[in-house]
Amino acid sequence: MANLQIREAIRDAMREEMERDERVFLMGEEVGHYQGAYKCSQGLLEQFGAKRVVDTPITETGFSGVGIGAAMVGLRPIIEFMTFNFSAVAFDQILNNASKIHHMTGGQFSVPIVFRGPNAAAHMLGSTHSQAFDGIYAHIPGLKVVSVATPYDAKGLLKSAIRDPNPVIFFESELMYAVRGEVPEEEYLIPIGEADIKRPGEQVTLITWGQSVPTSLEAAKLAEADGLDVEVIDLRTLRPLDEAAVIHSVKKTNRAVIAYHGWPYGGVGAELVDRIQRMAFDWLDAPVERVCYDDIPFSYAENLEHLSIPQPEDIYAACRKVAYR
Amino acid sequence: MAIVVELPRLSDTMEEGVVANWRIALGDKVKRGQVIAEIETDKATMEFESFDSGYVLLLVAEEGETLPLGAPIAVLGKKGEDPQEALAAFGGGSGGGEAAAPAPAPEAAADAAASAAADAQAVAESAPAAAPSAPASVEAVHVDPKDRRIPASPVARRLAREHDLELAAITGTGPHGRVVKADVEKAIAEGTGKAAAAPAAGEFSGEVDGWGRPYVSRPDDSVRLSMMRKAIARNMTKAKQETPHYYLTMDVDMEKAFAFRADFNEAVPEGTKISFNDLIVKAVARSLRDFPSVNASFDGDKAIIRGDVNVGIAVAVEDGLVVPVVRYADQKSLEAISRESKALGKSARDKHLRPEDMSGGTFTVSNLGMFGIESFAAVINPGEAGILAVGAIESRPVVQGGELVIRKRMKMTISADHRVTDGAVAAKWLTKVRGYLENPLKMLTDGPG
Repeated sequence: MANLQIREAIRDAMREEMERDERVFLMGEEVGHYQGAYKCSQGLLEQFGAKRVVDTPITETGFSGVGIGAAMVGLRPIIEFMTFNFSAVAFDQILNNASKIHHMTGGQFSVPIVFRGPNAAAHMLGSTHSQAFDGIYAHIPGLKVVSVATPYDAKGLLKSAIRDPNPVIFFESELMYAVRGEVPEEEYLIPIGEADIKRPGEQVTLITWGQSVPTSLEAAKLAEADGLDVEVIDLRTLRPLDEAAVIHSVKKTNRAVIAYHGWPYGGVGAELVDRIQRMAFDWLDAPVERVCYDDIPFSYAENLEHLSIPQPEDIYAACRKVAYR
Repeated sequence: MAIVVELPRLSDTMEEGVVANWRIALGDKVKRGQVIAEIETDKATMEFESFDSGYVLLLVAEEGETLPLGAPIAVLGKKGEDPQEALAAFGGGSGGGEAAAPAPAPEAAADAAASAAADAQAVAESAPAAAPSAPASVEAVHVDPKDRRIPASPVARRLAREHDLELAAITGTGPHGRVVKADVEKAIAEGTGKAAAAPAAGEFSGEVDGWGRPYVSRPDDSVRLSMMRKAIARNMTKAKQETPHYYLTMDVDMEKAFAFRADFNEAVPEGTKISFNDLIVKAVARSLRDFPSVNASFDGDKAIIRGDVNVGIAVAVEDGLVVPVVRYADQKSLEAISRESKALGKSARDKHLRPEDMSGGTFTVSNLGMFGIESFAAVINPGEAGILAVGAIESRPVVQGGELVIRKRMKMTISADHRVTDGAVAAKWLTKVRGYLENPLKMLTDGPG
């Protein structure tokens, strides 16, 4: 077992896939000579050359479109957004080309592409650079959406995403690139669409993903000290949703809390609530609680930003609430 | 293809029914004619014999569930057949009777028409009623007995249901008194939460008596109507809304009837002894033969003069009233009337009356004498021209030949339908009845007179 950071796990996933399949290439801002804005592509330019590790100008619409075109004619592009906030510029390419071409050409073309990069709030980046795109991309049929929180999940899921014949949105977190964890030396894949129980428990089901996974695990520790046994489920894939794992857990605990980076209106959290109330109605002991951003554009001020981001104490309070504590 | 068993029409006025008991279980082999269920109709609980044979693939109706006529209650067929397929073909959907009811209802009415052809009037009355029975299927059956919404989480509801506990008897500790899982688990562990046997104890009202002791205020309680009560409510409302009643009361001297009954009962063997009510039924029946307009039925632009004299006898039963019918009562001997009314009365109290025992009546006798009621006015059974309400036989002072004497007397009151008969006719009819009762030997002669 190697002890790696998430950025290293991502780099290893890309390197292994580029070694395995010469159709795979990486393109984006600062991925080559600068070794990646967050050093996720360290050493790749040296190993694979400028033809397969392509530095682009600041033109998200352009290089997203180039990637989609390359995928249509048989290559396997990985498009890195310096942050998913910049994917807003390329949104039309993703919404109207990547997700729909397979459907609109009657299956004549497919778009095996990965769009990856950091998503959601980091630290004092202001309103336009702190947004979570989970709900926006998970809303679109034709896309798969993945969100990782550990080095092990990052490597196994990114390799699956690169091999997937569909466009995959792959969310990372700026503040989590340095998070360390055990990663096997031998090759492994994690299937897209499978949630993972990060902490088993009996009394409350806490569903989470991305940056809220470590926060939720902390909340579960607070609850444990209080005698409340919380099960933490890391969704890992937001579309397709592993509803079987969620419903199975909720039927066991009778209570659910959803904690995530994202606005409350609609989105993945609301989708989960819908499925839980429909599929586990007779098992619920309390209304499902959500802990997420406040329904406002992000503040730059550190203290206000802190209030908007789900903290362990907030999630713990929601767990107490559904358990009638 | 599997066969869908429908809720059958088992009485003239039945619009919905309840499967009181299943006599079969899933997988049983059923023969044609075998009793497969007991069905509670508006009048009685009846055995339902299967029209078909096959294996029981599905029991659709739950015991105690109220369903409209023609609703699917079970599916019979070959082993391994898919019952849902038959249900889908039947009326789309596997649920209770919601989609299934409208189509079969007219058929059920037609079946009933065939089986009850003798009673043209009853069919005319019930057939149109069958069509609007479909919406009745949406009636909520599994309501909380107290008819109050108890705040409870879904899982608490399910647990309480599974453990046969009453939510109302469990204290909720959640917000707004919501009963949550922990509360039900506590009740299960402590063996509490069963339905309270006694009615609510009540609370102190704001008013006090002279010593300052508070009066007690007790909450209202709503009780689900039985099929029988619903039928009584429906028929009596119809009678009072549609039938212009008038009432005539006559006093009868019962001295001779008293003596006659004593002599008669001494002369006949045990088991054939007669009651005063038997005498009254006999007197009523013979008088009806002579007064066709009192033995009639109003039917829009015509009166139907009933060919037979079938006298219904109102019998009080638990939670209601049924009216079994003595057929051809004008032609039957006192012993025969007595024997039949005893048997019918027993069946009524045991809830085993068959629909044919209760159909086809042309006139009704209702007797509250045993309760010491002096006189009363009864409500006409729809489709009949009258009902005779009989009071108690009591020793009373009367003036006879200018002298005050004590005689056994009885008051009887006819409620009559003014659309088919008038006061003078009913008065003459009453006189005729009185004639028989004041001289009972006349009832033993063969000819009318």
